[in-house]
Amino acid sequence: MIEFTFALAIGILFGIGVFQLLRRDLIKAAIGFAILFSAINLFFVAAGAFEGDFAPYVSNVEAQRQTSDPLVQALILTAIVVSFGSFSLVLGFVNIISRRYDTIDSNEINKLKH
Amino acid sequence: MTIIANNPLLVGTLVTPLIGAVIALIFAKSNRLQRSLAVLTGLVAWVLSIALLVQVHDSGIQTYALGNWSPPYGILLVADSLGALFAFMVTTIMIGGLLYTFHSHDKCMTYPAFVPLFLLMEVGLIGAMFTGDLFTLFVFMELMVLASVSLTAISDDQYGLEAALKYILISSMGTLFLLLGIAAMYATFGTLNMAQIAQILLTGDRPFLAPASALMLLCAFLLKSAVFPFHFWQPDFHTTAPTPISAMLSSIVVKVGVYGILRLVTLLFVEDAPVLEPWLSVLGIIGILFGSLGALRTYNAKRMLAYSTFAQIGFILVGIGWGGTMALIGAIVYAFNHAFIKSSLLMLIGVVASYTKIKTANFVDISGIGRRLPSVVGWLVLLGGLSLAGVPPFNGFISKLALIQGGVESGDWGNLIMMVGAGILTLIYMIRAWQRIFQQNPLPGTAETKSEGDSFFAPMLMIFVCLLLGTILAEPLIQLVSATVEQIQDPTLYIAAVYPDG
Repeated sequence: MIEFTFALAIGILFGIGVFQLLRRDLIKAAIGFAILFSAINLFFVAAGAFEGDFAPYVSNVEAQRQTSDPLVQALILTAIVVSFGSFSLVLGFVNIISRRYDTIDSNEINKLKH
Repeated sequence: MTIIANNPLLVGTLVTPLIGAVIALIFAKSNRLQRSLAVLTGLVAWVLSIALLVQVHDSGIQTYALGNWSPPYGILLVADSLGALFAFMVTTIMIGGLLYTFHSHDKCMTYPAFVPLFLLMEVGLIGAMFTGDLFTLFVFMELMVLASVSLTAISDDQYGLEAALKYILISSMGTLFLLLGIAAMYATFGTLNMAQIAQILLTGDRPFLAPASALMLLCAFLLKSAVFPFHFWQPDFHTTAPTPISAMLSSIVVKVGVYGILRLVTLLFVEDAPVLEPWLSVLGIIGILFGSLGALRTYNAKRMLAYSTFAQIGFILVGIGWGGTMALIGAIVYAFNHAFIKSSLLMLIGVVASYTKIKTANFVDISGIGRRLPSVVGWLVLLGGLSLAGVPPFNGFISKLALIQGGVESGDWGNLIMMVGAGILTLIYMIRAWQRIFQQNPLPGTAETKSEGDSFFAPMLMIFVCLLLGTILAEPLIQLVSATVEQIQDPTLYIAAVYPDG
């Protein structure tokens, strides 16, 4: 059951993320980008979380109990840091662009078009 | 399980620029000190990468398990001859870029963050080439992307920010798919270690998600090296970046994607490579045609070179797509030589642009400006252009020859003829650009010029390296690359280096 909930959540987050990323409003696009990253992080958790029911390193002292995979969680921590870095960079760019161009509509930010 | 041998040169090459970046941040007040430090760091990394290249050539694949965690656990650095060769290329060209910042008058280079970011880009590049597992590859690629995006955003060119935003959104999309592919890999194989994945795939086992993740990784790499369906950000991004950065972007940053594709078809998905390779050839040919035609009709000299990179990556991809021994040699030599030629040409055009008041490389503004420059610059641009087009005494000729031989060997005449035909376009646009800049009289509407611009020392050095590579060092280079191809064509060598016990 929980696997199905996870799959549904990942799917919905992906949908929202892609939709927002394609918006003309750059701030919405940036937030869509953050949502997409959480969708993928969730996918990463799902890749290793359901093998066992116990937290690793803590509850397996008496052995023989199936623990969940700790590696994906470590990987996600890194992925979250990376995504947070790029997200804040994007927001910083949007901030400066909104002042320089007086708009955050991506259709009007087209000075590179010749 | 035996502990694998740790070679400190791997970590040395990777960490030197990182330490340099941190120390450069401490000396944020003094710009001159920062730049000297950067060049010093670049030189140290260069020496280390040469030592590593020699060692890999003499005694096989070198490894370093960080924190002594043996392979399936922990972070593993591996330098096989492909990684060592690409890392050598990166450190060499980085020196050129760092030297250029010395005598440049761009405002963005006086920012305290410029040099640290530049060095971080080098860390990302070297790390992506040395890493032995896919997730670390993702981290280093993202580091490289973030550093290069920030550097472009602070460019003197007023549209740099717009290009940077455009690129970071597109590239992050690519990174997301890379991460998705990596997650799918983990879900199917239960490991991210490239050697272990290769080992599982070599047994002929094809888990459910493996082809899908191969495609996702391939798309991410294609996006990083700006190949046809994912190329539209590239001319803007490479044109608006500050001169030394655009030289790095157009020469070595795009090669990370090429490196990834080489890894994908020679190490990980060897059995599926015959399915992927024809597509690479097709995308390469489209890239060659679009890139060359785009370079012919563009209005800006830097943009012309950016389109030219698009075409040259096409040549490399066609070589990988042919997949024979000679074709792979051709592709790697091409990637190596193109990096030197393109970085020197972009820096030279940057020198030309720096002589105008508004630092533009638009042809209408810079045509005829060559009369006011030191005459050496004109000759260097001509030499670089001929080299790019593959005229005999230069390294461009060596790489084109190797690639054509690979094409003849694979017997794919249709693509070969199109490739050679499109190669002539390179000569046309380079010579035309040279004539417009250095041979014409200035037009009435051209921009005002300054009496002093950037120094042409760094690109001159790179052009000399090009000449050296094309003549004296051509044979050793080909031999080195032949040994490389021999090594990468046998994935068991890579696996044996990581898992000595099998």
